[in-house]
Formats: sequence, C-alpha cells, structure tokens
Amino acid sequence: MPDPSFSSMPPERQADALPLTLTKSGPDSQLPALQATPTISAYPMRFTGTAGEFFRLWIVNTALSIVTLGLYLPWARVRTRQYFYGHTWVDGQNFEYTANPVALLRGYLIVAAFFGVYTLATNIQFQGWEWVAGIIAVSFVALYPWLVMKSLRFLAASTTHRGLNFRFHGQAGGAYVAYGVANVAAVISSSLALPWAWFMQRRYQVENAAYGRARATFRGDIGNFYIIGLTALGMVIGAGIVLAVPVITGFALLTSDDPFSGSRDAGFLGAMAGIAVLYLAFLAAYSLAWQYIRGATLKLVLNSTELGGVVRTRATFSPWMLAWIGLSNAAVQVITLGLATPWAAVRRTRYIMEGIQVLAIASLDDFAADVTLNENALGEAATELLDIQLGF
Amino acid sequence: MNGKSGESLSTVEVEGIYFDGRSSRDRAARLTVQGDQVTVQTSADGVSGGTEARWPLARVSIDPPLPGVRRVLKFPDRTRFETEDDAAIRAIERRARRTRPLSDRMLGGVRQLEGSWGLTFAALGLMGAFVWGFIAFGLPAIARGAAAATPSRVLTTFDRETVDLLDKPPYLGPSKLSAARQAELQRGFRQVVGWAGGAYSYRLLLRDGEPEDDGNGSFGGFSLGANAFALPGGTVVMTDQLVALARSDRELLGVLAHESGHVTHRHGLAGVYQALGLTLLTTVVTGDLVSAGTFAAAAPAALLQRGYSRAAETQADEVAGAFMLEKYRTTRPLRDILARLENKDAKADESSVQSGNRIEDLLQSHPGTANRIEHLRALEQAAK
Repeated sequence: MPDPSFSSMPPERQADALPLTLTKSGPDSQLPALQATPTISAYPMRFTGTAGEFFRLWIVNTALSIVTLGLYLPWARVRTRQYFYGHTWVDGQNFEYTANPVALLRGYLIVAAFFGVYTLATNIQFQGWEWVAGIIAVSFVALYPWLVMKSLRFLAASTTHRGLNFRFHGQAGGAYVAYGVANVAAVISSSLALPWAWFMQRRYQVENAAYGRARATFRGDIGNFYIIGLTALGMVIGAGIVLAVPVITGFALLTSDDPFSGSRDAGFLGAMAGIAVLYLAFLAAYSLAWQYIRGATLKLVLNSTELGGVVRTRATFSPWMLAWIGLSNAAVQVITLGLATPWAAVRRTRYIMEGIQVLAIASLDDFAADVTLNENALGEAATELLDIQLGF
Repeated sequence: MNGKSGESLSTVEVEGIYFDGRSSRDRAARLTVQGDQVTVQTSADGVSGGTEARWPLARVSIDPPLPGVRRVLKFPDRTRFETEDDAAIRAIERRARRTRPLSDRMLGGVRQLEGSWGLTFAALGLMGAFVWGFIAFGLPAIARGAAAATPSRVLTTFDRETVDLLDKPPYLGPSKLSAARQAELQRGFRQVVGWAGGAYSYRLLLRDGEPEDDGNGSFGGFSLGANAFALPGGTVVMTDQLVALARSDRELLGVLAHESGHVTHRHGLAGVYQALGLTLLTTVVTGDLVSAGTFAAAAPAALLQRGYSRAAETQADEVAGAFMLEKYRTTRPLRDILARLENKDAKADESSVQSGNRIEDLLQSHPGTANRIEHLRALEQAAK
C-alpha cells in the first residue's frame, strides 16, 4: 500500500522523515541498507467495535461487579480493555490485552484497603486518626511517581500485537523527575511550567516504550506543548469575556429601577436563572479546553513518535472535534443516567483510531521479540482505582 | 487412540494464522486436534520453510472469547494461533472441558450472557433488583451491625470533638436560661434517659441557638435557632429557642425522648457507615474511586442518605411516642411542638441555605413534619 500523500503532513515533520532511512537496522532487514527513496507504506488503524456489542458486554460486566460486591471488577476491567484492544487493527492484525485479573484483584484489594482506612479515619476520627490519615496521604504523594512507573510497565507488558509484547524500560529516577519534580514545578510556578511537565511526562512515556526489541523515540518539541497550553488558556479567557458581557448587562438592568420591568422579584429570578446558565456555559468552555489539551497532546505525541527507526505514527484527527466529542458524550451520559457510557466510549475510540495511520518503510513483519517480564499489578490498580490520568 | 466415545475420535481442523513469538510475522497455519493431540502446521511461504509443532491439548491455553474478536490459542513456547472460526474453537473447548481452568469456563458463560439482548436486559434487571435490595435492606443492616459493634469510647470521642466544633458562634452560645429553669430541664432529661437506658454517657447541653455574632463577619452564617439534636455518644443539645417555643415541659420531654431514640439506635454512627457503604456501591457501579463519574453519583448518594435519615427519624419518633404514651397516655405535646417548629421553619427556610457541610447535614433532623404528626397520631390511636 504505497502512500503518495506523505506531503499532507505538517512541514516540520517532513524534515525528519529522512533519518528514518538511515537508522534501519537488524539482521532480518529486507531492504537494501541505503536506498534513496524508501517505499513508505501507510497502514490506517481501524476500530471495529460497535456500541450495541459493547453495551451488552458493559452491562454484564457492571451487573456481575455489583452482584459480587466488586470482586469481579478486575475481570470487568480486563474484559473491557480486551474488547477495545481486540477491535483495534493495524494491517490486518489486532492488539491484545493480556493482564491477569487475579494479579489486578490483589492490587485492587491493597489500594482499596488503604483508601478505606483513610476514609474511615477522616470520617470517624478515632484516637490518632490524624496520624493514620497523614501517613497514608504522605506515602501516596511520595509513591505517586513510582506507582505511575509500575503502571506503565504493567500496561506495556500486558499489551500484545502480532505475538510480540510491548515493554516499558522506564526507571524510578525518570519517573520522579517527570511526575515528581515537573508536577511540583508546575504548581510552584502557578502553571507556567505545566506544559513543560506535560512534555517531560510524554517524553518519559514514549522514550521508554518498546515493541519487542524496537525502542520508541520521541521527537516532540517543548514549544508545541506551550502552544497547546496557550491555545486552551486563550479559549478559556475568551469564553470568560464573552460570557461576562451578558452578566454585566444583566446586573446593570437589574440595579437601575426599570419602570417597564413589571415585578422586581421576577426580574431577580430571571437574573438568577441567567447566571446559572452562564455558569454552566463557562464550565462547558472550561472542560472543552481540557478536552482540547488532552486531544491535542495525544495528536502531538502520535505525530512525534517513531518506533525502531522504521515505523512512525501519524494522527490526522482534529483535537477540537475530539473535545466536542468529549463534551457531547458527557452531556448524553448525564441525560441517559450513564446508560450511554458504552456508546460514548466506542464513539470516541472510533474517531481517534480512524484518525491514526502507521507509516512504515519496512514490513511490519520484521520486529523481533524481547524478553518478557512479569510486572507487578499494584501500580496499575492504583492508577485505575484512583483515576490517575496517564494521558492516553 | 482406541477411545470409544466418538467425540475423541473425530478430528477438528481449523484454518488461521500463526505467530512464532520471536518475530512479528504472521503466517497462514492449520490447526488440527485429534484425540488429545494438537498439531499446528505452517507451510513454506518464501521467507522461511514450513513448520509443525505438536502439543497435548491440556497444555494449550484457549483464551476466553470476546464478541467480534478472533479466537486465540496460546502454546507453552509463546507461539500462538488465531482464527475467526469460533465454532471450531468451541468444539475444541468442549473436548478440553475437564482440563481448562474454572475462570476460563466461567468467562465462557459470561460470553453467553453478552451474546443475547434478552439475557443482557435480564442482567440489567437483576442488577437493579440487587442495588435496590442492597440499599433498602443490606446496607442499613450492615451499618446497624457495625454501629452496634463500635466501642463506646469512639462514640465519646466523637461527641467531644463535635461539641468542641459547635460550641462557638455562629452555631451555639451559652444558654441564657435561669439556673433554676436549667436544673428543671436537667431533671426532666434524667427522667427520659432513665427510661431509655443503655450504657451511654448521657448529658444534656442547653445552649443559645442564635448567639450574637462576635463580629468576624460570618456572611450567610448558619444559626441553629429552635433545634435539638443528639450525638452518637449520648450528648443531647437543646437550644433556648426551642425551650421558648414550648408551651409545656411535656413537649420538651417528648423532644428529648426522640433524641434519646437516636442515641439508643445509634443512628448517627449508622449514618457514617451507610455513607461509606454508598461510596463502595458507587465505586462498583462507576468502576473507580475518584473519577468524574463518582462525583456525578454524589447527588443520588446524598438523596439516599436523606432517605436513611428520614427512616431514622421515624424510628426515633416511635421511641418518643412509646415514652409519651407510657408517661402521659398521649403523643399530643410532641405533635404540637412539631407543628410549631414547622411554622417557624417556613420562615427560616429562606435564610438557612443548605450546604454540603458535614456538621450542617448532621443537624438537618426534621423532615416531613405532616407525616410525622400523622404517624404520632396513629401511634396514639393504636395504643387505645
């Protein structure tokens, strides 16, 4: 499948298209080493999951989780992931999530026990509760980067494609820089360093990832992360200004005793309703901005990732469309009391996957396996249960 | 190979693809199951020659099925065989039934559930019934048990901490009642708790429910007004405003008996456990502890909490009713003061904004007055 549309990429990406040809290595290479114009094949990613099918899986998962008082949750999680991985295809082959639910259950129970003790301590306030709650909170903060690293390792080791495992080579030191130092810096600098933290975290994630023996490289530029952050900030400020105009006008009308406004009470109620609507609108704009950041970062990362010097990912989805999907999904989920959750998940995944292509200058057959390690599921349990966003 | 069962004699053949686990190359393959023997064959494809591997069926792991996803068989040397031929794999699964792990077989059952809309909606119904049963019966029973098992030392600490927190403006100030009046009410309280019994450190705190603002500008300050409430350890707080509202001490003793009912039934503590239980339920439904979904579920959880609180009110009213019927043969005084409280409430409603503060929620202890009065009247009628 030769793809002549390579020029549709952003110009800055074209510049580093060349090194691809030079870094190709491995004894099983089918290509002549220094071919001038390598054939670039584009493999579009496909997502074949459907809302109806996933709805049934989701309902059964939820029912079993409830009836077993949560003990089925790890199986439910694994099955959900397996469904999404199994329906994600590249070049006729799908992905597989291979995590062992029993290992996850162990992690879930440990995390849930600590969370339960913490909640009990802060609610009942038994003798010495400050110490119990304090120690749990401090150790969580101190262990947070380590948990993220363990989670990434587990996630990679549990992902299989074409019979080969992914692997995450990240060490604790890197995690403490990317998730400890960078987050603290972002807070101290009142978010000035936040895009830098995003950059550090994505780089940590990508640079340490590997498919079989092929290591991934990250070519992202920190400036692009600042552009994303400023775009979102600009949007929130713009929304604030646009929404502030009717508020100010409303107050002006309300305070000047208008002779034609029949009753003052009705005017007051109307103003309150108006403020509530505007508040909701601002919340929507704010969440839209975060959704945009999430989508734009994902796109940037996908456009900056190379694998083993022979494969690159390209994202063509629009972050604004993704933000809109996120916002409208949330609205539909609220209206349907959560029953539309499976539909929303399938809709978002389909839009993302159908906007991703895998570009390769060598056959996707030529990756080689690495040793497979058994990774501990504790970090994964913590990030899943405590909803730590890893940014996927 | 001289099995007589027939099933073990028949041969299953499946076409699919094969990965050797060492490279990412897919190869067309054929899997054959004959008896207890599994054979995977690939033919030469120009890059490498054909291969053949044999395994005993018991050592082959068959991944649980997922709707719409290829079936996967994994072999001990990390090689794998994938196929879309679900029917053939199911035939192999039936044959390997005895040697497969229990969890895999159960996930096969889960797939049956997922496969049909009818069963899916049955699962939805079952889930609804289970959640309702858990909320209506299971959780209150568990919370009651846990509250009864909690040592009274914990209760006393809870009382002390809460009183420390409340015993200052804008919540409470020192009572302005005369010493004689206070002593009179304390005597009445002894009478009530002597009747109520239980190993609690009962004490009645008389306090001013609308203390003068001490000038620190508590905008929208929360004042208790005419109110009475009980803490889990046996501490009962009654405000001067409530005392002033009463036309006779019988009314006040009725209120105190109601509060003693909260203490002896451990409603305060059960409420804490019920809140924890609802958190657990929310976790199970939304799938995690602190996501947006969990916050979205906070509103229904709060409503359920109110429901539990109303059930507790009814129970405490029954205690108070029993006390009044025994002492005065009527529940009239309690009904009167409830009605008067309600009338006052009508005015107070607008100013006291309900916030999510834990302490303020704890104090919202008088819902549904008309029903309560009706219930107390019915209690009196039943006693006649």
